[in-house]
Amino acid sequence: MDASRFISSGLIEAYVSGLATSNEVQELERGMKQYPEVAAAVDDCQLDMEQYVTLQSKTPPSDLKQRIFHIIVNEEAAREAGTFSEEQVTDEFPETKTYVSSAWRWIAAAAIILLLGSLWMNYVFFGQVNDYKGRYEALTVTQNTLASESNLYKARIEQMEQSFDLMKNPSMKAVKMPGTKPFPTALATVYWNQQSKEVFVMVNNLPEPAADKQYQLWAIVDGKPVDMGVFEMSNPHELLQKMKSIDNAEMFAITLEKKGGSPVPTLDQMYVAGKAS
Amino acid sequence: MGAAVTYTESELVLGLKARNEKHFGYLYDHYSPALYGIALKVVNDESIAGDVLQEIFLKIWRSIERYDSDKGRLFTWMVNIARNTAIDTLRSKAHKMGQKATELGSNGLASDQLAIHPSVDHLGLVKVVEQLSKEQRVIIDLAYYKGCTQEEIAKILDIPLGTVKTRMRNAIIQLRNILKQM
Repeated sequence: MDASRFISSGLIEAYVSGLATSNEVQELERGMKQYPEVAAAVDDCQLDMEQYVTLQSKTPPSDLKQRIFHIIVNEEAAREAGTFSEEQVTDEFPETKTYVSSAWRWIAAAAIILLLGSLWMNYVFFGQVNDYKGRYEALTVTQNTLASESNLYKARIEQMEQSFDLMKNPSMKAVKMPGTKPFPTALATVYWNQQSKEVFVMVNNLPEPAADKQYQLWAIVDGKPVDMGVFEMSNPHELLQKMKSIDNAEMFAITLEKKGGSPVPTLDQMYVAGKAS
Repeated sequence: MGAAVTYTESELVLGLKARNEKHFGYLYDHYSPALYGIALKVVNDESIAGDVLQEIFLKIWRSIERYDSDKGRLFTWMVNIARNTAIDTLRSKAHKMGQKATELGSNGLASDQLAIHPSVDHLGLVKVVEQLSKEQRVIIDLAYYKGCTQEEIAKILDIPLGTVKTRMRNAIIQLRNILKQM
């Protein structure tokens, strides 16, 4: 706002009459510092207002001067004796008082209540968010577990499918090996591909071996045992375990040997045996 | 009374700051009618106005150290103390009696309050009152002597809030024109 705008805005009259709000007072006081002509206009207006005030002068009751002097003389005596305490403090340069209307007080109160409500709801919703986050994490863990289990089953099914494919092959010959006398319930089967000469073993029923022992497959060729390899019991999902290949054999047998197998079979540990032809 | 003695404003301020009771006596003799006029206009009751005037002069005496002549004239400073003290009394009294609303609310009472006291000391005031419209007089007095806000004036005079400042400006311009002719 330039000086002439200040002068024509009505702000000066509002200021001098006490009507200006505290914002308007600040605005005009800035203008008075910036423009000497604004300061002069305010001063002129104030002088006229004071003339109006002076016109309404009235002589106060005559005893009042004595009353006031009595008080200040006592105060001065107390001040000199050091017992006076200044209980009334006055504004340095009394400014126009602005009274806040009751509507604004209600609005302020309502705003504070809304703020408190909002803070409370923040607290509640934050708690709920944490709760949902926890539940979401639990669900993610479950979902991951299910996915890995599903992968496991898929792998097992693939292994079984491979086994079935092998068995379905028409060149595959099954050699059933029943239990020997000491182990009558034992049973195993050899699958022998007559074309590729590949040999697979399937465990139908064999007892779990001790930790330092392993089952070993033998082929009997010309009355002599030939090592066909050891196999594990710990992977029951692999129906058919591939062993060494062999061109021809009269019999197949399984013995329990020390871990890693042995060059000759331990005959009293023969669990199953079956004729190949 | 030392009627022959006159002080300039700066002499008076220096004497008051030195807590010279003679200077304070001079101040009282010269300015008490104007300040009493203010108190009376605000509270509209002679016995209350007397108490208010006593408070005004005690405040002047007690806070004269803080008066800064760079910020304004001594009379302006005293008038502000007088208005604030009297308006505070009026507001707290009105508040206590719950009468502010009715006092300021009905036009009859407002005009009664703002009626000119019968024993007017100045003939000039009669001239001002004659030439100023009642509405202009009321709007100046409500703001200046009753400490009413723009909202309160809009309500009392039943005019839009946005026109209060314009009407005030016109009223004061009119007042100043009248004063210039005197």
